[in-house]
Order: sequence, then structure tokens, then C-alpha cells
Amino acid sequence: MNRRQNLARRHRKSQLFKWCCISVTGFAVLVLVLLLWQVTVIGLPWLDFQFLSSFPSRFPEKAGIMSALAGTLWLVALTAVFAIPVGVLSAVYLEEYTKPTRLREIININIANLAGVPSIVYGILGLAIFVRFMALERSLVAGALTMSLLILPVIIIAAKEAIRAVPSSLRQAAFALGATRWQVVRAHVLPAASPGILTGLILALSRAIGETAPLIMIGALTYVAFVPDGPMDEFTALSIQIFNWTTRPQEAFHELASAAIIVLLAVLLLMNSLAVYIRHRSSSR
Amino acid sequence: MPDNIILSIEDLSISYSGEPAVRRVTLPIYEKKITAIIGPSGCGKSTLLRSLNRMNDFIHGVTQTGRIDFQNADLYAQDTDPVEVRLRIGMVFQRPNPFPKSIHRNIAWAPGINGMAGSVDERVEKTLRQAALWEEVKDRLHDNALNLSGGQQQRLCIARVLAMEPEIILMDEPCSALDPMSTARIEDLLFELKENYTIVIVTHNMQQAARVSDFTAFLENGLLVEYGDTDQVFTRPANMRTEEYVTGRFG
Repeated sequence: MNRRQNLARRHRKSQLFKWCCISVTGFAVLVLVLLLWQVTVIGLPWLDFQFLSSFPSRFPEKAGIMSALAGTLWLVALTAVFAIPVGVLSAVYLEEYTKPTRLREIININIANLAGVPSIVYGILGLAIFVRFMALERSLVAGALTMSLLILPVIIIAAKEAIRAVPSSLRQAAFALGATRWQVVRAHVLPAASPGILTGLILALSRAIGETAPLIMIGALTYVAFVPDGPMDEFTALSIQIFNWTTRPQEAFHELASAAIIVLLAVLLLMNSLAVYIRHRSSSR
Repeated sequence: MPDNIILSIEDLSISYSGEPAVRRVTLPIYEKKITAIIGPSGCGKSTLLRSLNRMNDFIHGVTQTGRIDFQNADLYAQDTDPVEVRLRIGMVFQRPNPFPKSIHRNIAWAPGINGMAGSVDERVEKTLRQAALWEEVKDRLHDNALNLSGGQQQRLCIARVLAMEPEIILMDEPCSALDPMSTARIEDLLFELKENYTIVIVTHNMQQAARVSDFTAFLENGLLVEYGDTDQVFTRPANMRTEEYVTGRFG
């Protein structure tokens, strides 16, 4: 009987843990739904073509996010161009080319630490190096470089994990067939790791879209009445626009911020869908 | 002893971070013969095998002394290119490890990156026939290789090595993850391959070594206890430990 009682207790524990997990997950989802609901209810009435195609204005009914949306798209694109190659190649180097030495450990630990550095610190760094020292001024390039610094650790860590998850038997098979390291990496390691790398890239770029502090730090303008023509132009971004509107006293601007949040979320969702699509296509090949 | 020595292992010692795995082994490998390396788990037979196509290069902390000559050239000389070594000395692993790509691509990839001449499709068909796999897969060459059974995967891995036209094929317990039927098929295959290839096979299956090999080397604790003609090693072993092992008293 003792064994049966013991078993019953273990089953009860198991059930208890399951319900703990369900309630915690449920709470998280509930908060998210409430948030989205509120944002949608407040912001949706403002969301129209006029809102998307207008520049910021003192009058809420004339204000729009044209320049901010364009700035965000520019910023993400440029950040991707800078950060993706550097991040992925660094991960490849650290995982595939270096020997497991103490130096590599130190580098790995530091990258992990960098991922936890507050974004405002990157803003200060960007201000000092890109804006002042390299004299890029308040350009999109300066913003994108700062954002790249911010998300590089995230990309490197995610890509490293994905590369490490590739079974070594695959590498051995390729090496034993007389492949060079580059051929092994190119033909087998990167394709096998690409879904994981892609997930990391999307997470990192999503973070870049939402970041506000470093952009304020490097002086991205809050009132920009033009769409940037090129990477050296001044810019503003959705996150800054949202921040700016929420600091205004008028209620109408707060509602505009909600509308802008909807647009920001839509951009994020679009990026995620694109990643899912690419991943699906590459895995079915 | 007959024929040409294609690989000559002389006084070879290998250790992992100071821990000796192979101790002062001297062993000839004869051309177009099957040499079996047998011994209990952890006796260093896989380590020895992997040193023959420089696969130990990828393991951190491996040190090696002694000499391996491949057709009278030092396999570990400064100017020996390990990539070229692996082109000429292929390897089949313990667990089937096909690339997660199509059957066709599994075979065509290595000849492709090495710019081997000739029709790719012909090479794929020829090597699949050599590996006795063609009839089973000819209608689904572009299916993913991971959909094959374990035995088929292993034969695909053999075909993949054959496609590179190596001079020597190293096999590291190629049947240990397979069922008896698949094992029998691979053993049949070995007899056919012997016509054109030198094969070194590591196995912990004594019957397999006795059935397929011409020469047998028995390793214990990294030491070469006995080497000789397979018949002689299994019927009239010179060493008592060998006798105890091949009759199944330990290991």
C-alpha cells in the first residue's frame, strides 16, 4: 500500500505542477491580450491613410507617422545590413574555427555580458564614436551602427547556439569526404543552422525596432517633416514618435501613440511572417 | 606476407590530453585486402583508425608520435595536405550519417566540390549499384536520405565514399547500429569492394572479423597484442589474450 500511496502523491504533484504552468502562461497571455485590446480600441479610430501619409504636426488630426515609419524601415534595413554579416560570421568563426582555448572562453563570456548591457549605454557609445568621432552626425547610418552594436551580441549568441546544435557527425561526414572547412560550413553547417540563426536575427531586429533610448541619446530628431532620401539623412523612428506623443499633455496625442503602436506591431508581425516563410522554404528544400 | 603495403603504421602512439589511447603500434595495411582491427571497447581501435585519414586532427588535445606512411609518403608531414589525404582515404562511420539532403545530393556533393569529371548522374547510379542500393532507391533519388532505413543509410554512406574513388576505405564499426539483415548485406558488399579497394574495418563483432577480413589485428589497452592472417589469429592465435578474446571469454 505504501508504494501506491507514494505513487498517488507523485501524481498529485505532477498535476499541481501542470496547473502551475498553465496558470502562469494564462496570466501572461491575458496581460498581453488586454494590452493589445486597449491599444487597438484607442488607436484604431486614428489609423487611416491620412495618419500613415502625414508628417508630425501640432494638430492631432493632421499628425501622421510618414517620416517615422520611413525612418524605422530605413533603420532596420541598415541595421540588418551591418549587423547580420558581422554577427553570423563572428559566430561561425567562434564555433567552427577557434580551438576551445581560454581566450575563446573570455570572448564568449564577454559577448554574453554585452547582451545584458542597458541600451542607453550603447546610445552613449554611439554618440561618442559614430556621431562625434566619426562625424556621422545624426544620420541614419549613425543610428543603424549604434543599433548594430546593441543587437550584435544577441545575434552572435543565437547563431552560436544554432551552429553548435548541428550534429558533429555531419561535419565529420563532410570532412571525411575531403571537404575544406569552408565547404563544410557553407554546404552543411550553415544550412542546418539557418532556422535557428534566422530566429535569432528576427528577435534581434525586433529589438532594434522597439529600442528608443539609444536613438534619443544619439539625437535622432523627434520632429522630422521629410522622408529620408539616403543613409546620411537625419531621421526619426516610430519608437521615438510614440515616446514623444505620450509625453504630450493632450489626450489626442496619447491616442495617436496607440495608433503608432499598432503600426509598429504590424511591422514586427510582417518581419516575423517573412522569417517563418523563409524558414519554411529553406527546410522544405 | 603477400602483396603491397599501402599504409605502414610504425611505432604509433596517440594520446588524448596525455591519456594514452594507442601505444607503440606497428602494423602494415595491405593493398586490396581487408584488415580488421578488433578488441574490447576503449582499446584504441577507433582512435587508430581515425589517425589513418587524419580525422583526429579535429579533436582537441590529441598528441601523436610515430609514423604513418601512405604509399611511402609521410601522412603527417608538414607539407601533407590533410584534405587531400581524406580525398584518397575515405571513411564510413559507426552511425550512418547521411547529409539531410536528397539521396542524389548525398553522393554528388563531394565529387562536385572536388571538380571530378564525368556525368554526375552516371556517377550516382554507378556508386549506388556498387553499394547494392540502386534497385531500392532508383525511383526516389531526390527524396531526403533521412527517410531511408538505417541499413540503407549506411549503404548510402558507403556509396558516398565510393563516389570519391578513394584508394582506401576506413570503416569504424559500420554495422554496429544495424540489424542482422543489413549487416549481412554490408558484409557481402565488402567482399565485392575488396576487388578494387583497400579496406580497414574496426569491429567488435568477432564473427564479422573472421568472416570478412584477410588480416586481423587485435588491440588491447592501446597495445597491439597480435597481428596476422585472419585464419591464423582466429584458429591458432599466438597470444593467450587473443585466444581468450576471440573465443569470447572476455571483452
